[in-house]
Amino acid sequence: MILEAHNLGWSVRGKPIVTGVDLVVNEDETLGLVGPNGSGKSTLMKLLAGIRQPTSGDVRVKGEALRAMPRRAVAQLIAFLEQQAETTEAITVKDAVDLGRTPWLTPLQPWSREDDLIVAQALADTDMEGFERRSWATLSGGERQRVHLARALAQQPEILLLDEPTNHLDVQHQLSILDLVAKLPVTSVVALHDLNQALSCDRVGVLSGGRLVALGPPHEVLTVERIGAVFGVRASILTDPADGTHMFRFHPAS
Amino acid sequence: MSLTASQEIYISRLGRGTLGFAALVVAVLAGTCIGETPIPVSIVLQTLANKIFGSAYVLDPIDIGIIWNYRLPRAIIAACCGSGLAISGMVLQSLLRNALADPYLLGISAGASTGAVAVTVAGLGAGAISMSLGAFAGAVAAFALVAILARAAGGGVTSHGTGQIVLAGIAGSQLFNALTSFIITKSANAEQARGITFWLLGNLSGARWPDVWLAVPIALVGLAACTWYARALDAFAFGAESASSLGVPVRRVQVVLIGFTALVTAVMVSIVGSIGFVGLVIPHAARFLVGVRHGRLGPATALIGAAFLITADVLSRTIIPGRVLPIGVITALVGAPAFAVILIRGRGAP
Repeated sequence: MILEAHNLGWSVRGKPIVTGVDLVVNEDETLGLVGPNGSGKSTLMKLLAGIRQPTSGDVRVKGEALRAMPRRAVAQLIAFLEQQAETTEAITVKDAVDLGRTPWLTPLQPWSREDDLIVAQALADTDMEGFERRSWATLSGGERQRVHLARALAQQPEILLLDEPTNHLDVQHQLSILDLVAKLPVTSVVALHDLNQALSCDRVGVLSGGRLVALGPPHEVLTVERIGAVFGVRASILTDPADGTHMFRFHPAS
Repeated sequence: MSLTASQEIYISRLGRGTLGFAALVVAVLAGTCIGETPIPVSIVLQTLANKIFGSAYVLDPIDIGIIWNYRLPRAIIAACCGSGLAISGMVLQSLLRNALADPYLLGISAGASTGAVAVTVAGLGAGAISMSLGAFAGAVAAFALVAILARAAGGGVTSHGTGQIVLAGIAGSQLFNALTSFIITKSANAEQARGITFWLLGNLSGARWPDVWLAVPIALVGLAACTWYARALDAFAFGAESASSLGVPVRRVQVVLIGFTALVTAVMVSIVGSIGFVGLVIPHAARFLVGVRHGRLGPATALIGAAFLITADVLSRTIIPGRVLPIGVITALVGAPAFAVILIRGRGAP
């Protein structure tokens, strides 16, 4: 019960975006969040990260209310990978990943060699070694995504919140990033578009219209009926002859 | 004995700091020597020794008067205003994620002018509040109005890549400039009006020692604030939400730093009038030279701003013999082409 949400809601100009979400995330698990566009995935992630204040309910980290904690203390526990965070600054890859150390540094406690080692490890984990001096503007979308992930890793969080981390990535890096997240000794909540990727999470939550309509092990939650109801597509289950695992293929509903 | 990484960092910072301070001293000395009547450095140094250390060099009292009462305070004020305005521009650009942000464009200078004029000309506060305080109130009011307008227009102060804040700033500048003109026309006599109009374009000729004792601490406080918050400013690189997720208390940092910006701008405007282009151009030049990290960018911006405004002041006094140009004219004449060069070279930067 490292991260929990009770009756969590957020609305903008009276329009509810996330409504009544109750969620308990267990230590060290990887929880996938799926749902169609506009189902409230990104908003829920921002509420869990504490960078938006809920209009109802609350989020607790290790039993402590998130809204009562200083931002620095939150950032030492939770790292959040946003979708499409961009900059026009002429920053380098190293500059961007170094930012991950922000919650651990103060004006009186400057950068140390240990911070350099942590940043180097984060770059290695995301396969971005050798890119340190490259400027942000010259990176591809997938490389930018990996730098963002390296920044989140450099935060050395106990909880990783990743909003569509596989966006823009080629298939090799999609697999290696998800594999890395699964192996890291941290709790992760990952918003995903690819339902087949969600199958490899420990548990999956399904969002629809801002509500959490299902939560549990992937094969119990991601049924053909539910996919039909939530995503409006007809799914068929295929079996990989190589190892007997299941995967989905999708067809238009009509 | 080997040094730890942080000790090495401290020593290299100390080295750069000393170098920067030396450059500043040289710039102030140059600003004191150069003028319509050039004065040799030796005379300037002897005057300073007499005044500060009580030495007894025999010097021409006219030289002493020019150096001590006129040129030295003027050069120090120019340095403070240059660094203060440049730092303000840097902070606004970083916080608002907008390369065009600067106290002049966002209406803060215009608001400060209105506040200063309201106190000096219209007699607001009946002598109980100083011109600087009036300027500060005007600066805060102007920025608040601009921020509210930008938010109402859907841009917000924090969302990045939007032009709303700059558009709102232009509207705010126009409004406060109009208010300033209104107050001058309504309350000032002809002679006052001429003086104020000249001051509004930026003018250092009134700079005296009491102004120095106001400008120096304010410039230092501004630099200290942005040094203290250097990492927080770095964390805004990917926007306010990203800064928040990196542990920065976004609202507090914005209020504190924009408050300091308004204070620094207001004090500088109340001393020298509103000078454009410094806050816009100098931070970009500094980024080009030392990179985007605020730990280095802040001091570099302050130093370049100081040197730039001292140079601009020297040019404004010497470029037309017997006449003093408003310093705003020089900053724009130098600043605009410099800005063009930065824009063009920045495009091809790796």
